[in-house]
Amino acid sequence: MQDVKTKPRFKWHIVVFLAPAVLIYTTIMIIPIFNTLGMSFFTDVDNRQVFVGWQNFNTLFGDERWAWHFWNALKNNTWFFMIHMLVQNPVGILLAAILSSPKLRFAAAYRTVVIIPAILSFVIVGFAWKLILSPLWGIAPWLLDSVGLKSLFAPWLGLEEYALTTLSLISVWQFIGIPMLLIYAALLSIPEEVLEAGECDGLTGFSAFWKIKLPLILPSIGIISILTFVGNFNAFDLIYAAQGALAGPHYATDILGTFMYRTFFGNQLQLGDINMGATIASAMFAIILVGVCLYLFAIQRRLRRYQF
Amino acid sequence: MTALKLEKVCKSFGPVKVLHDIDLTVEDGEFVVFVGPSGCGKSTLLRVIAGLEDATSGSVEIVGRDVTTTPPSKRGIAMVFQSYALYPHLTVRGNMELGLKQAKMAKSEIAARVAEASRMLSLDDYLDRRPAELSGGQRQRVAIGRAITREPDLFLFDEPLSNLDAALRMNTRIEIANLHRTIDSAMVYVTHDQIEAMTLADRIVVLRDGRVEQVGSPMDIYNDPDNQFVASFIGSPAMNFVKAAAYGFDKGAVLGIRPEYLTIVDGGRLSGVVTHIERLGAETNLLVALDTDDVLTVRLFGQYSFDVGQKLGVDFDDANALFFDENGQRIR
Amino acid sequence: MNKARRNIWHSVAAHGILLSYTVLALFPVFVILINSFKTRKAIFRNPLQLPGPDTFSTIGYETVLKQGDFFLYFQNSLIVTVVSLFFVLLFGAMAAFALAEYRFKGNALLGLFLALGIMIPIRIGTVAILKMMVASGLVNTLTALILVYTAQGLPLAVFILTEFMKQVSEDLKNAGRIDGLSEYAIFFRLVLPLVRPAMATVAVFNMIPIWNDLWFPLILAPSEATKTLTLGSQVFIGQFVTNWNAVLAALSMAIIPVLVLYVIFSRQLIRGITSGAVK
Repeated sequence: MQDVKTKPRFKWHIVVFLAPAVLIYTTIMIIPIFNTLGMSFFTDVDNRQVFVGWQNFNTLFGDERWAWHFWNALKNNTWFFMIHMLVQNPVGILLAAILSSPKLRFAAAYRTVVIIPAILSFVIVGFAWKLILSPLWGIAPWLLDSVGLKSLFAPWLGLEEYALTTLSLISVWQFIGIPMLLIYAALLSIPEEVLEAGECDGLTGFSAFWKIKLPLILPSIGIISILTFVGNFNAFDLIYAAQGALAGPHYATDILGTFMYRTFFGNQLQLGDINMGATIASAMFAIILVGVCLYLFAIQRRLRRYQF
Repeated sequence: MTALKLEKVCKSFGPVKVLHDIDLTVEDGEFVVFVGPSGCGKSTLLRVIAGLEDATSGSVEIVGRDVTTTPPSKRGIAMVFQSYALYPHLTVRGNMELGLKQAKMAKSEIAARVAEASRMLSLDDYLDRRPAELSGGQRQRVAIGRAITREPDLFLFDEPLSNLDAALRMNTRIEIANLHRTIDSAMVYVTHDQIEAMTLADRIVVLRDGRVEQVGSPMDIYNDPDNQFVASFIGSPAMNFVKAAAYGFDKGAVLGIRPEYLTIVDGGRLSGVVTHIERLGAETNLLVALDTDDVLTVRLFGQYSFDVGQKLGVDFDDANALFFDENGQRIR
Repeated sequence: MNKARRNIWHSVAAHGILLSYTVLALFPVFVILINSFKTRKAIFRNPLQLPGPDTFSTIGYETVLKQGDFFLYFQNSLIVTVVSLFFVLLFGAMAAFALAEYRFKGNALLGLFLALGIMIPIRIGTVAILKMMVASGLVNTLTALILVYTAQGLPLAVFILTEFMKQVSEDLKNAGRIDGLSEYAIFFRLVLPLVRPAMATVAVFNMIPIWNDLWFPLILAPSEATKTLTLGSQVFIGQFVTNWNAVLAALSMAIIPVLVLYVIFSRQLIRGITSGAVK
């Protein structure tokens, strides 16, 4: 008997399969992010990058002018997120619950319609709503008038107190279809027999929803919430499309994304400052990271995924 | 007092009629099994009794009350589902309590009932666990426990053993039989397995294509079937059927004889060749190809040494032969 | 009708709510579309009326088509989207296959590394990306956009596809190996066809953010030749802000291709979301 020992051949194919994705991902996503984060520790002196440690961060949080913008943007961003949580989730859940009723007619049609706002670009959404809410064109006032509420109308997008809330609601309008569909999918995955057992136990309609369906879809609601968080603190396009880079009126709609853009690239009022822009980006990164970690460790663990 | 009375119950899904004029009574304390092949409508009938489906026409009465339009939770029934349908997010205790809490029962009463059901089904160690942490058999007991706590007038079981493996199935069968002796409520049990039907039922209802073929005690159905379908459905290995005329009988068109009533006898009325042998230890089953081209299954108790290809004689006692006309109806 | 189970009023209320939402969702789109075909006076006088014989006008569209080369913008968007999707799917599937199929040191770590990208917004690294593109001469090219969108779409694609690849029967792959198929053949000919639904989902999930993105075209490829439809319409609106006909026409021209794409793929998208592709 011959003893044949073959040395295990190096599995080239694994490398080939992985290489393109890993390469592109690392070069274009990971490295630039860390590069940018790194730039926040430098500043520009006579066109040369000089290491300054935490100075930029001190400026961002402490210097009068910068700090005002930063904390303003952060406050606005938080409000933006809160509106999403307070409106998007409950309304989305309500719509999903209704849509998942057995034997609901036209369910397919409703499902298709629900996503249409989400496929429109921010340019369209921003501008369309600006037009509708514009006092000049008169659609919104006319509509309110027809239900006798004309007095409620105001040029919301132009008013400091209301502009941000208005844009937040517009953003909710645009995206609500997607979390709604995710919750709908979660509701559909609850086995019919569990709901029938509930019926036999006397749980129908509302009580069936509170006591059986809601606890079982909490994991999905959790995921939607954290994705909304990441999306909101990363947002830019809608505000930019509707209010421009200066996020008027008077920075009332300025969020972290617009603040970063403005700082990086400059605008009519000031030159771009790459290092400060990078600093803002680092702050955004930190905030998002903290939020995600908090979620993963505190909340995700408690939300059970149910196997059916 | 009758626990359940069905009168001319029909059910259609759109243009398709699934149940045709079902008439049935279940007495208090009786264990009735609905049995039949897939698609015969037994599960649908159970769901109509439960109230999860509405009868298209006809009436359902439970303990004397017309419940045809009453919702499931108010009919006085409890159901054990095929997939157990436990609430995944609640503990075992929570699962058993939910229906009672919903009915706004007193806390002490709820606790008492849960404790009793748990003791009966040996669930005391698992009360604080969730379904995902239990085995299939344990989950099934929780499903039964959930039904017991409701103290219903009528228990409904929808193929509860079909998701269990073979060994567990027999043990659980015995547990369910014990349960019936203890609780003594009326129970309606649906299965496609005739062994469960034979061993558990006080009466069996054989269904085919949405119609009741026969109702009777297990032994009556076994020994005295009303038609060829019932005769062939109950009993394993299945009854042998041959053309009566080919063997010199002028009564009816088809002759049926159960495998265990055939004997191997030198010089028997029939002769044939062994084509297949199954040795099961306690039984030996032979497939014998007769000279007349029919193939009969012969069931012998004990161990025998036959060989494939061996020629032998087969006979039977005429008293054990059953006769059916050309429509499959029994001629007595 | 299931008398024992349902209530007609619940039905009415349900449809009522859903219909209100439908109107709310479609109203802005409807308003834009109908008014793009009206004369300027009619737009202001009766914004909610459908264009009639005396109010119908295509002047807006004519202005738009004369000013910017919208067909070029559309073409750019199409190229960027389709090519990016192609690479996301190809490289994503390859990586997902490797992660799902082979055991090697660092498999779990690599999976986690790639999944990080789902949570971290790529925009944070924009300045470095811009520098990179400038340094390699790719600024103001469609290639820059394609590279960025591919990188952006890979994390989620790999994550979703890995789950589906794990479900492909082990026996099937082994049968292929016994038959002498190379690993590449197994991937392309056996596994890939089986995960098509998941790939469709990933495609649809990425298609819309790529098509609608404003940020990267604005920063990496703002030149006239490389403008995408989204950027083009934004710039156009900025310039012609008072010419309502033109603006509305431009918006409509931006909406219609997306709507058409959506109608074609809506079943895939919904099936993808509801099939639990996103956990």
